Amino acid sequence: MANTMLELTGIHKSFGENQVLRGIDLIVDKGEVVAILGPSGSGKSTMLRCINHLETIDKGDIKIKNQTLAENGIYVDEKKQREVLSATGMVFQQFNLFPHMTVIENLIEAPIYVKKISRDEAIKTAESLLEKVGLSEVRDRYPARLSGGQQQRVAIARALAMMPDILLFDEPTSALDPELTGEVLKTMRELAAEHMTMIVVTHEMAFAREAASRVIFMAGGVIVEENNPKDFFNNPKEERTKLFLRNML
Amino acid sequence: MEKFLNMTVLIFQGAGVTLEIFFITLILALPIGALAALGRLSKIKPLSLLMEFYVWIMRGTPLMLQLLFVYFALPVVGLRLPDIAAALLAFTLNYAAYFAEIFRAGLQAIPRGQFEASKVLGLSHWHTMKRIVFPQVLRIVLPPISNETINLVKDTSLIYILAMNDLLRVARTIVQREFDMTPFLIAAIFYLAMTAVLTWAFKKLEAHYGKYDA
Ligand SMILES: Nc1ncnc2c1ncn2[C@@H]1O[C@H](COP(=O)(O)OP(=O)(O)OP(=O)(O)O)[C@@H](O)[C@H]1O
Ligand SMILES: [Mg+2]
Repeated sequence: MANTMLELTGIHKSFGENQVLRGIDLIVDKGEVVAILGPSGSGKSTMLRCINHLETIDKGDIKIKNQTLAENGIYVDEKKQREVLSATGMVFQQFNLFPHMTVIENLIEAPIYVKKISRDEAIKTAESLLEKVGLSEVRDRYPARLSGGQQQRVAIARALAMMPDILLFDEPTSALDPELTGEVLKTMRELAAEHMTMIVVTHEMAFAREAASRVIFMAGGVIVEENNPKDFFNNPKEERTKLFLRNML
Repeated sequence: MEKFLNMTVLIFQGAGVTLEIFFITLILALPIGALAALGRLSKIKPLSLLMEFYVWIMRGTPLMLQLLFVYFALPVVGLRLPDIAAALLAFTLNYAAYFAEIFRAGLQAIPRGQFEASKVLGLSHWHTMKRIVFPQVLRIVLPPISNETINLVKDTSLIYILAMNDLLRVARTIVQREFDMTPFLIAAIFYLAMTAVLTWAFKKLEAHYGKYDA
């Protein structure tokens, strides 16, 4: 299908004896915002990190924009991997900005060296992205001088600077003080409104309810239930989902 | 006064040997130490073990013993090096081991997230090491490298035992000949000046590479 951005089929992943993913099937279409919920240790991060090969799968197929990254657990060669993965971007819980570079330097490093864009052009794009996330004024500061919320918005801008087609978020607000989560969620809502394809592992129920187009509930390394947010929250079908939601709300 | 000047000239010649040992050791030991650190952290088990063994030997025995070994024991097995080369070999191997430990600790202090963020952005492994990891490692290792460098200034005086005319030996020769303690004073001032310059230079470097701290 032309609109398929991501296709996971039968993904298995173990850490030693610990079977963390036990057969994940997932198709994400262009423009979808998929929220992934689930108890701690259910494999949410691992699944997300398998998508961009931060973790190596044992079994299964991964296709990004209809290009194969891995088939039957065997990855395509390095060069091809880079090409396929260039469609993805990621935002981490701990931001992972480069501390020795200013905000603008963080944003232009990869576009210049990976995309081979001219420095002037990279700076122009970076400046407009900073404006978009409302951080033009911190352009020349080092990350340590920013609040957590500002750092995470810079991290989002840095990911966007590579013009990914699909953006992965692993608990982007979990490391933030409660009063700072709002500004990051606002930026993410704006991206969702622009139909950016996003997969968001989160504990923010309000974000899942209001900004997601689909909610997935994981437990024990499998997808237990998925639905549109309204039905997911109002009429959960599985016992495990009900229990989880009762504890969350 | 003339006697004092003569002394100073002689002592400065001795200082030349000291400086030569110091700079050449530093220039060789830093990159060798960095490579040894990479070897130590390598996934190739034999290499990693070999580097661990090397560091263990070098840090676990006195530098004086290592000097004597290179100078007196190697010739027994037919490896005779010129004096200065022997001294440089011992100093370089010893200091490279200390630098290797410093670099290893520095590398291991870089959070995994830095590597992951680089990978996700598509940066190559080499580019990540050069542009993301190395500048941060440098910032971490500068203070301990500064310490070791200042130790090296003082350790150069160990070549005294190898009968090479370094700063300290020249000073002592004059003291014995003239029954005048001034040469020791001049030597002390020389060592102090050198460590003062180094301390200043490393402060500058630390300020330069630390400018991104909160
Ligand atoms: N690198 C690793 N090595 C070994 N075990 C790991 C590794 N990463 C994750 N695990 C294990 O895999 C399981 C799933 O972890 P994962 O981080 O995917 O869970 P999660 O759903 O993201 O949980 P949380 O909500 O706490 O972030 C856990 O049991 C964890 O201990
Ligand atoms: Mg997680």
